[in-house]
Amino acid sequence: MIELKAATRTYQSGGSTISAVDSVSLAVAKGEFVAVVGHSGSGKTTLVSLMGGLTRPTAGKVLIDGIDIWELNNIELAQLRSEKIGFCFQFSSLMPTLDCMDNVRLPASFARGGRGDPGHAMELLETVGVPDKARAYPSELSGGQQRRVAIARALVNDPQIILADEPTGDLDESTEADIMELFEGLHRKGVTIIMVTHSRILASKAQRILTMNAGVVTEGAAD
Amino acid sequence: MVGIDPETDFTIGPWLRENLDRPLRDDEIIVGANAHIFLGKSESKPGDEEYFYGKKFTVVGVLDQTGIGLDDAGFVTIPAVYDMAKGSDNNAMRKLDIQPGEVSAFLVNVDADASRAEVAKRIELEVPGVAVVTSKELMSSSVARQLETLTPGLVYIGIGFWIIAVLLIGALFSMIVNERRRELGLLQAVGATRRYIFSLVMLEAVELTSIGGIVGLSVGAIVILAIKGVIASSMGIAYLWPGTAFIATFTVGFLLMAVITGVVAALYPALVASRLEPYQAIRTGE
Repeated sequence: MIELKAATRTYQSGGSTISAVDSVSLAVAKGEFVAVVGHSGSGKTTLVSLMGGLTRPTAGKVLIDGIDIWELNNIELAQLRSEKIGFCFQFSSLMPTLDCMDNVRLPASFARGGRGDPGHAMELLETVGVPDKARAYPSELSGGQQRRVAIARALVNDPQIILADEPTGDLDESTEADIMELFEGLHRKGVTIIMVTHSRILASKAQRILTMNAGVVTEGAAD
Repeated sequence: MVGIDPETDFTIGPWLRENLDRPLRDDEIIVGANAHIFLGKSESKPGDEEYFYGKKFTVVGVLDQTGIGLDDAGFVTIPAVYDMAKGSDNNAMRKLDIQPGEVSAFLVNVDADASRAEVAKRIELEVPGVAVVTSKELMSSSVARQLETLTPGLVYIGIGFWIIAVLLIGALFSMIVNERRRELGLLQAVGATRRYIFSLVMLEAVELTSIGGIVGLSVGAIVILAIKGVIASSMGIAYLWPGTAFIATFTVGFLLMAVITGVVAALYPALVASRLEPYQAIRTGE
């Protein structure tokens, strides 16, 4: 369960204060598939970053399984990120100096009891459809292949939550469909998925839609 | 060949004390770096047996290249010279005419502050029948004096260079951290702790400065090896390597200093890297 209680995140820009997320309160139940939609700059990425403990709220609280994550010390917060959450970013997020296999195994090296064995990593690469790219470096992959490897990496520690920020942005329709199929499969296995997207079609595949506008969240898709 | 009193000799005495670690025996010889040429060999090494005027000597040490006359010489004890001379009548092709108690020269080690001319004058006055020769300019003492004057300046220059190195390496690592903000943010997103990020930057700095230290030491050693002959011949002083213990201590100390340089220089960039907020680091690195 992820809860935001009056969570606010502000930034200073050109002498003025901008609220990327403005006093948002919401709860995402375990196993839910939530799509976050909204215009560019509406605060979707910041919202997901708050949920994943990647940014500290200026005010309010973020709770995961009832624990205020910003009350945790640095090591506990790092463990929470590696063990409970899998991140898929909207850009290529692979380490350029590691091959695909090692990129997938990377989060396991930080998790307690992480399954960093090559066999598990290969299974995940097969799941996302790029087993032949295990020893390739990110620069040798297409955008879609990089995104698939990043999803395999997000799954390596069997996370309870997947936070996906535009996971199919700038990908062709076929790759987009494959990735969505992957997410739907994970959802069926009970993984909580929170996905930021611009696409109404993709959002319609989620159980619940949250719309962001100027840092404020409303339930359902905007007209 | 030079007969010496190992107890009081100050030409190769220091070498003997540091390398042989026992008194030179009467059947042993220390040879200069080029002595093998006169012996008709490609090289001389400890354990070689050589005959001079029919007397057998075992080589127990070979001096490093000094660039001066010492390179061509062989050094034995004074009793060995008398013994060699005594036996030369029967054992050698040509008799060596040196009587027991006879010496050709006394070397006088004059204090740095003393006047050589005054000392020479007094010896001539007080020891009849002795001719005193003063060296034209005792380079070793003048070089020592020059070095004594130069050393504090060189230390300050060294400290100045070290500070510049620390600042430059610090600036370099600040740039590296800035360029890798996204990677560092992503590492935190997948579970890296702040300590891990801090260690990552520090290790890279230590690795870099250690390699720099090794390269610096190697280049320094190669340059010294290449020009030591020139220094020795141009200044007329013997070039001797410091002892093994000194070289080992210097090497370890120098490498330690390189590591310390890396640690000091990368401390602030590593702290900055470890305190980056993952989301901000990822966004600003895009």
